Amino acid sequence: MIRYALAAAVVAAAPLAAQSPLRMSFWGAASQEIVQSRIGGVRERLSGTMLSGEGVLGGERIVLRLRYGQGTLKGEGAIEPRELVEGEVLLGYRAASWLTLWAGPNARAYTAGGADQRWLFWSGRATLRGTLLPGRMQSFVELWKSAGGSVTRPDGAASGRGAEAGLEMRLSGQTLWGRLAYRVEQGLGDGDLRDVVETLAFSIAYVPPR
Amino acid sequence: MTRFVIVLTVALVTFAAPLRAQSADALLAQGIRAYQQQEYPGGAWLLRRALSLQGSAALSPAETARALMYLAATELSRDQRDSAIAAAQRLQALDSRYRPDERIFGPPVVALFQDAQRSAPARSGGAGAPVATATPRGNTIAIRPVGGEDRAFRPGTGAFLLRITAPAPAEVSATLTGPDGRAIRTLFAGLVRDSIDLRWNGLDIAGNVPAPGRYLVTVSPVGRDRRAGWSLRLPLEVTRTAVDTLTLPPPPADSLYRAERGTYGRAWRSLVPGVLAGAAIVVLPGIIANGEEASSARLIIGGTVTVAGLAAFLSQRPGRTISVNSAHNRNLQERWRRDVADITRRNAERLRQSQLVIRAGAPTYSPSEAP
Repeated sequence: MIRYALAAAVVAAAPLAAQSPLRMSFWGAASQEIVQSRIGGVRERLSGTMLSGEGVLGGERIVLRLRYGQGTLKGEGAIEPRELVEGEVLLGYRAASWLTLWAGPNARAYTAGGADQRWLFWSGRATLRGTLLPGRMQSFVELWKSAGGSVTRPDGAASGRGAEAGLEMRLSGQTLWGRLAYRVEQGLGDGDLRDVVETLAFSIAYVPPR
Repeated sequence: MTRFVIVLTVALVTFAAPLRAQSADALLAQGIRAYQQQEYPGGAWLLRRALSLQGSAALSPAETARALMYLAATELSRDQRDSAIAAAQRLQALDSRYRPDERIFGPPVVALFQDAQRSAPARSGGAGAPVATATPRGNTIAIRPVGGEDRAFRPGTGAFLLRITAPAPAEVSATLTGPDGRAIRTLFAGLVRDSIDLRWNGLDIAGNVPAPGRYLVTVSPVGRDRRAGWSLRLPLEVTRTAVDTLTLPPPPADSLYRAERGTYGRAWRSLVPGVLAGAAIVVLPGIIANGEEASSARLIIGGTVTVAGLAAFLSQRPGRTISVNSAHNRNLQERWRRDVADITRRNAERLRQSQLVIRAGAPTYSPSEAP
């Protein structure tokens, strides 16, 4: 349902973006997720495919980024499969052409056997971009660290940090872009609770002409 | 002996002048008689001869007025209305209070004078339109604006009117020159019989609206009259009513252009972000999630990003033409040129919709002008 809503939003917003001074881009991604969970000395490794969507909307300085994704993770042996849902809402400030600072919440939820575990982080981020070929290719590195957070099952405070790096390049014309990225995040909770998520993602973006 | 010479000189001066004056008077009298006998072509010729005499043989102002009055009536009677109006306006220029004697001249002649008064420009003192005349071989050629000295009209649709009058056929050209002396248009070239009205539609030969400034209409003889060596000049002050035009876009700023040839600086600036991002992908798991085994698949992505940086470095190495940047710069220039052409076209359209205001100055006669 949420996927359909995102798709509808993209279709509806594209004509608006073409007429306004706002910058917009809409990303769709397929990614391979690798999750390593540890609690009380018990380790689990799961992996699976996730589909996600991302929208970036902003003017010259202020930017809003929304990201949502979901998928299924499977473990080896008797490990019960998990449904994974991720999302983030970030407000950014484009301090320079190569630097954007972000703040906002990001959350992740696993559902297995009718029970779920939720991670919520309030984070600050910095995205650094470098141009490889002007107007055609750029690399980026994004680092984040949480200022606060929480986790359920077991309930408690949580902290986290993460990084993402990759390459963005224009695929066709002025409107179609592609992104190859690697993301790694770690969440820490009370009582030796640790959750490490790696993402290998390939995304395609539609950037409406201005 | 000395006394004899003095007496002879005085006698010559005393008797010769009336003899010459009498000849102008005689021509006038014969012209009037010809009018009364309805011999209009001959009458017109006699009256013009009388009017063309110069110096001491010239008619007195009162006789000149009388001659012009009869000339106007004669020309009207032989259906040369433009010449008749020209004569009437010359008479009004000579004596603005002059009125035809209704006991001698019929209603058509009186009406002609009223028309001449109406068509004369509104000048202080009520004088007629500015007229300059050239008199090659006794043919009084004149140029003057028609319908007043000032005229406002839309270029291409309205027109500024000039009239050249020549009682005897004359081959002339009328050329409009711009403030820089270059010819804008040839308004006329050919034979003038009696009179001809010239129209300038406010456009140059290419169909453009000329810039405001001082223009000049020069009438000079051509063809077999070419050697006469005179010209009539009518200055025109051309202005335009205010019109809102769009400002042309400035050329693209230098900062928008991209280097078309690679340099070491640019090549390194392309390499560094690629290599750093590739390295970050390799080392970040160890920093972010120390102790966990990271996926080796990340090395493929890290390697891809690094290779992309290397490729970017090579594509922008010193001296190499960067075709992408060349295309970008070309597009930038072409887009700017298109915008300029578009706005220029729209401004020209707006200027075409505005009114051209033309004020005729005092025409002058130059006897020494070589054609």
